[in-house]
Amino acid sequence: MILRTLIRNTNLLISTLLILSLFSFVLAFLFPGDPLENLSGLTNLSEQEYERVFLAYGFDQSYVTQFWIYLNKLFEGDWGLSFASGIPLWQELSLALPASIELSIYSLFVSLMIGIPLGFWAGFKYHKPADYSLLAISVVSYSLPIFWLALILILIFSLSLGWLPLSGRVSLLFDIPEVSGFMFVDIFNSEIDNKNAAYISALKHLIMPTLSLTIITAAIIFRLTRRSFIDVMSSQYIKTAYTRGLSHTQVILRHGVRNTLLPILPLFAMQSAVLLTNAMIVEFVYSWPGVGNWLIQAISQRDYPAIRAGMLAVSSLVIVVTIMTDVSAKLINPALVGENHAEN
Amino acid sequence: MALLDIRNLTLEIEGTSGWMKALDKINLTIEEGEIRALVGESGSGKSLIVQAIAGTIPENWVITADRLTWKGQDLLSMSANERRKVMREEIAVVFQNPVLSLDPSATLGEQLIESIPRSLVDGKWFWQRAAQRKEIAIKLLHKVGIRDHDSYLNSYPNQIADDISQKFLIACALVSSPKILIADDPTRGMEISTKTQILKLFTKLNQTRQLSILFVSHDLLAISSMADSMTVLYCGQTVESGKMSQLRKRPLHPYTKALLDSAPSFRKDLPPRTPLATLEGSMPTLQHLPIGCRLGPRCPRAQKECVKVPENRRVQEHSYSCHFPLHRDKK
Repeated sequence: MILRTLIRNTNLLISTLLILSLFSFVLAFLFPGDPLENLSGLTNLSEQEYERVFLAYGFDQSYVTQFWIYLNKLFEGDWGLSFASGIPLWQELSLALPASIELSIYSLFVSLMIGIPLGFWAGFKYHKPADYSLLAISVVSYSLPIFWLALILILIFSLSLGWLPLSGRVSLLFDIPEVSGFMFVDIFNSEIDNKNAAYISALKHLIMPTLSLTIITAAIIFRLTRRSFIDVMSSQYIKTAYTRGLSHTQVILRHGVRNTLLPILPLFAMQSAVLLTNAMIVEFVYSWPGVGNWLIQAISQRDYPAIRAGMLAVSSLVIVVTIMTDVSAKLINPALVGENHAEN
Repeated sequence: MALLDIRNLTLEIEGTSGWMKALDKINLTIEEGEIRALVGESGSGKSLIVQAIAGTIPENWVITADRLTWKGQDLLSMSANERRKVMREEIAVVFQNPVLSLDPSATLGEQLIESIPRSLVDGKWFWQRAAQRKEIAIKLLHKVGIRDHDSYLNSYPNQIADDISQKFLIACALVSSPKILIADDPTRGMEISTKTQILKLFTKLNQTRQLSILFVSHDLLAISSMADSMTVLYCGQTVESGKMSQLRKRPLHPYTKALLDSAPSFRKDLPPRTPLATLEGSMPTLQHLPIGCRLGPRCPRAQKECVKVPENRRVQEHSYSCHFPLHRDKK
């Protein structure tokens, strides 16, 4: 059963990634310009060099062979060069992607910390003023456009109050070599003198982007948790637990919480796609050097190889995260583990 | 004094067409050591009575009663804590649908062990108490006829058969040696051998432990073999109640008679290929309740007076609600 789940999801993962890479390959032909240039990112080549690249990408052979060569190059880390900077795309992505992941993880964490407890609390106060007001707040924050929200936060906290820095990941005073792409790890590994000041600066830069993402994600998580908790508390086994003489606390801790969270864990995974999309917009507003910012710049500069690589990287990340959370949620759910008794 | 005494229990549910009386002046008493059967068609409100006693009626339904007492204590005005104490120590309930009554995310062992109250174990340290709890749990499982306790204690509810879950819930209910067991259709959907096991178990518990049982079912055959007394329910009204033997021999209410006649096993003289007796029509829905006696439209003896709710009349231990009871000296 467990093995079957793993195999099925690995199949799903591999085939989805294959389709994505095929799509990115096709993009090179759909974009304006020479497909070879779009794939390799090499421009203004002499005739000899062009011939060499032409053969290297297998353009004298069938499309299938070309795709096969393209796949091999993807695995080798040769994703082509950027039109705009001339730097290998894989290198650019491996710096931009961690910045986005960092931002998403922090805001997901904060959202869970806020959304789940509030969801439970509203569930307790079902159809009472506290529940209604939390619900109203969640509707409002859920429907705010994120770019607008980000700008308003800048207006308040940076421009009016001057509490928080406007943009970037860390103050420019600190010269931190980008190795892993994760700011706090990089500061820790760097050899600068005043690390503490750097930590505080990084934290200050982090607050506003995280907050604007959190406001929206926490609202979604809150609503999911609240609904699930209300459903669980009205179920037969909770009633039975009460008649077995368990106290309110016992019933909620032993039966309520677990059953509330189990079915919504996969739904949190679905949120990661929305979260990453929002993160990309937020990055642009706050000049956060993540993949969203990078991709939007690539689009405005018509950097076709970068658009292709960025699309492939972001969508692969979303797929991997979604499937992995889905699998782990299935594996820890006892109702889905072990041999099922036949339904009647 | 009766253990459980219910007098004029009324339950109202708000629907699209206003408030509907799902239960209308129900009377029910259970004496100590008695097995009482609560009989009625599906939808007659049997489970609602069980829920009302167990206190699991949704908050937006209105429940009123002249009396709903447990050993003289009023269950309706009790605080949540007192009520929980009573439920934990004296009243045990087994609901319909065993599979839904078990938490799908916890093992059966966890659920059985957590129902064992602190007062039943006396170990000083928590591991001693855990060991004692486990011992009690295993004993209980043996008592309800589950032999293979090790594998069942560690399985999840979705991994076991329905009748095992049912026995399991009975084990949970018996943990604190309750005074009364309220079993809501405990043998539903079971094959005959398992059913017999459960019924035997109930009879044994009744005899050895003086356990009173409220046996809710529509399985007349099962009931008549074990119950001392019976209450017949029709459409949210109690139509007749009394000693089992008396009711079987001489039902006074037309509905009870129809019910008994419809069960072929009670009529030994029935020649082959006789059409079985039934009442015309079907039970009215909650939205279309007739006024007065709810059996009115289907009753073969109905007359003009039946638009008024009949008084509950009492002849010794036999009570019935009917304007025109079947004559007592003529069967």
